[in-house]
Amino acid sequence: MSSQSKRITLSEAAEIIKDGTMLTFSGFTIWRRPCALIFELIRQKRRDLHLVEVNSGPHSEFLIGAGCVKIWESCWIGHELYGKYGANLSRKVKNKEIIFEDYSHAEMGFRFLAASAGMPFIATQTSLGTDIHNPEYDMLRRAGLRNGKNPKIARKKYETMQDPFYGDGLQILLPAAKVDVAVLSVQQVGEEGTVRIGGQFFTDPEVCRAADTTIVVAEEIVPEECLRTEPRLNTIPSFQVDYIVECPYGAHPTGMFGYYDVDGDFIRNFYMQTRTQEGFDEFAREWIFGMDHTAYINKLGVDRLVNLQASRALNFSTRVKRGQK
Amino acid sequence: MERHDFAKPGEYTLADLMTVAASREVNDNEVVFAGTGMPMIAIMLAQRTHAPNLKLIFEAGTFDGRPNVIPTSVGDPRCEGGASRASGLCEAFSIAQRGYVDLGFLGGAEVDEYGNVNTTAIGNYLDPNLRLTGSGGNPDINSFARRTVFIMVHEARRFTRNVSYITSPGWRVKKWPSGEFVHRRELYGSAFRGGPSAVISTAGVFRFDEDTGRMYLDTYHPGKTPEEIKGLCQFDLDISRVKGETAPPNYDELHIIHEVLDKEEIFLPKPKKS
Repeated sequence: MSSQSKRITLSEAAEIIKDGTMLTFSGFTIWRRPCALIFELIRQKRRDLHLVEVNSGPHSEFLIGAGCVKIWESCWIGHELYGKYGANLSRKVKNKEIIFEDYSHAEMGFRFLAASAGMPFIATQTSLGTDIHNPEYDMLRRAGLRNGKNPKIARKKYETMQDPFYGDGLQILLPAAKVDVAVLSVQQVGEEGTVRIGGQFFTDPEVCRAADTTIVVAEEIVPEECLRTEPRLNTIPSFQVDYIVECPYGAHPTGMFGYYDVDGDFIRNFYMQTRTQEGFDEFAREWIFGMDHTAYINKLGVDRLVNLQASRALNFSTRVKRGQK
Repeated sequence: MERHDFAKPGEYTLADLMTVAASREVNDNEVVFAGTGMPMIAIMLAQRTHAPNLKLIFEAGTFDGRPNVIPTSVGDPRCEGGASRASGLCEAFSIAQRGYVDLGFLGGAEVDEYGNVNTTAIGNYLDPNLRLTGSGGNPDINSFARRTVFIMVHEARRFTRNVSYITSPGWRVKKWPSGEFVHRRELYGSAFRGGPSAVISTAGVFRFDEDTGRMYLDTYHPGKTPEEIKGLCQFDLDISRVKGETAPPNYDELHIIHEVLDKEEIFLPKPKKS
């Protein structure tokens, strides 16, 4: 693939994600989430998405609040310090407007690890004795979706067996987390797709390989040769990436190691405002609809972005007010 | 006043007391898994007092960190200060499952007499009164670590006879497919390493009898009584083994919490001057 052919726009990237897509993301809770692309999916009124993810955060709350999500398969959703739980998921669960499937965090991580290595399942000893393994709580089975029609939905939530090799007791077998599309929000990508992540890479290498298609939304697209002088610093090789998008502040309001900090005020306000559907709709009118990403950045304004800007030495902002002092 | 003298009532907050109690659960040289908030401060306090050689792990993928600025979450770049390695969460959970972790700090919305904890949903899971965050790494750390310490708000509805949903396994857990309760040792077999060792609530510090799996009151916070705390539990709390009051923070610990670690008052506001 030639270098130019991987480069697309935010709007084109959103069009790759069709209604019903099984989708996953880079990052962790309130860090490196592809929010700009998610806002674009909401503008394009995508429906019936099946999210499969490790610990979730504001990005999925945006999608869920906007009615884009049919199934949320994960282990956690919240906003860390800035909001106790996912109010939009919570509301949709209460109103029976969404299918949810709970695993543990290690289980989700290991499921992606399995998928990333082409293993159909993986064995673990986590969460034994919990309601995560309650057979009545296999929610995709309850919804009639474990019928083999979708090749990426396992026929069971989990299976158990005794260790046949070392006699090390009860094992939980978990199906690989196979997904259609992974969207990664990262610092730098080369023109051919080489990804360089700053700081913790969370599950990004695993979710990238677990997906059939990977879209990388980067703060900067850089000349490929710049990344190839020190390959040990790169996180994902070029050929695992299908499309690249350049999008400064593409993770806002989540944080980007070395580039900008978490916008805690934005997330806290979102959490407080969107505990009702009317509140969410108002938020969406103000921050999502009727604008593109450039307009969004302009609306945030220079002062706000300068305040969030990370110290080049420390990789986080020393200006942002985090506590009461 | 000497730095190791205990502070007097009014000179510290309840959150300070709980943080210090949590910090004292850490032994030197242990590998400790920390979540966001009070546990981070407790561990960073232990690092600066009695446990300078503890190894700090953050779930998102930072190992043996020596941060000097409080992170606001485990994905924060601030976690990486002085760390031996920064990577991802598959590595963090692999390390934990492999058996490296001595102690984990966790939270919960509800706990039962056996230390089973719920962070998933209040009420019927299929038709909940309130859907919460879900498990996160709570059951994982609780399955893999030798000891776990829970930090919780103490209310009768939270110290409940039966949690709505067992998110994180205590000492007597459900054996599937029947759902009968069995001792954790029986279910985990050779994967058994331990379990919940303490609950630090806004009322006191609780521990567990490993054989019966039952919670008992170990110390009560200044101003509380064992009987009052028993009345704040829906189950029949064992108060026969209580040792006395929870030791208050000393001046050195208060200085580290408020003047070194959380100067910004992100998690622990300073005590109000009377």
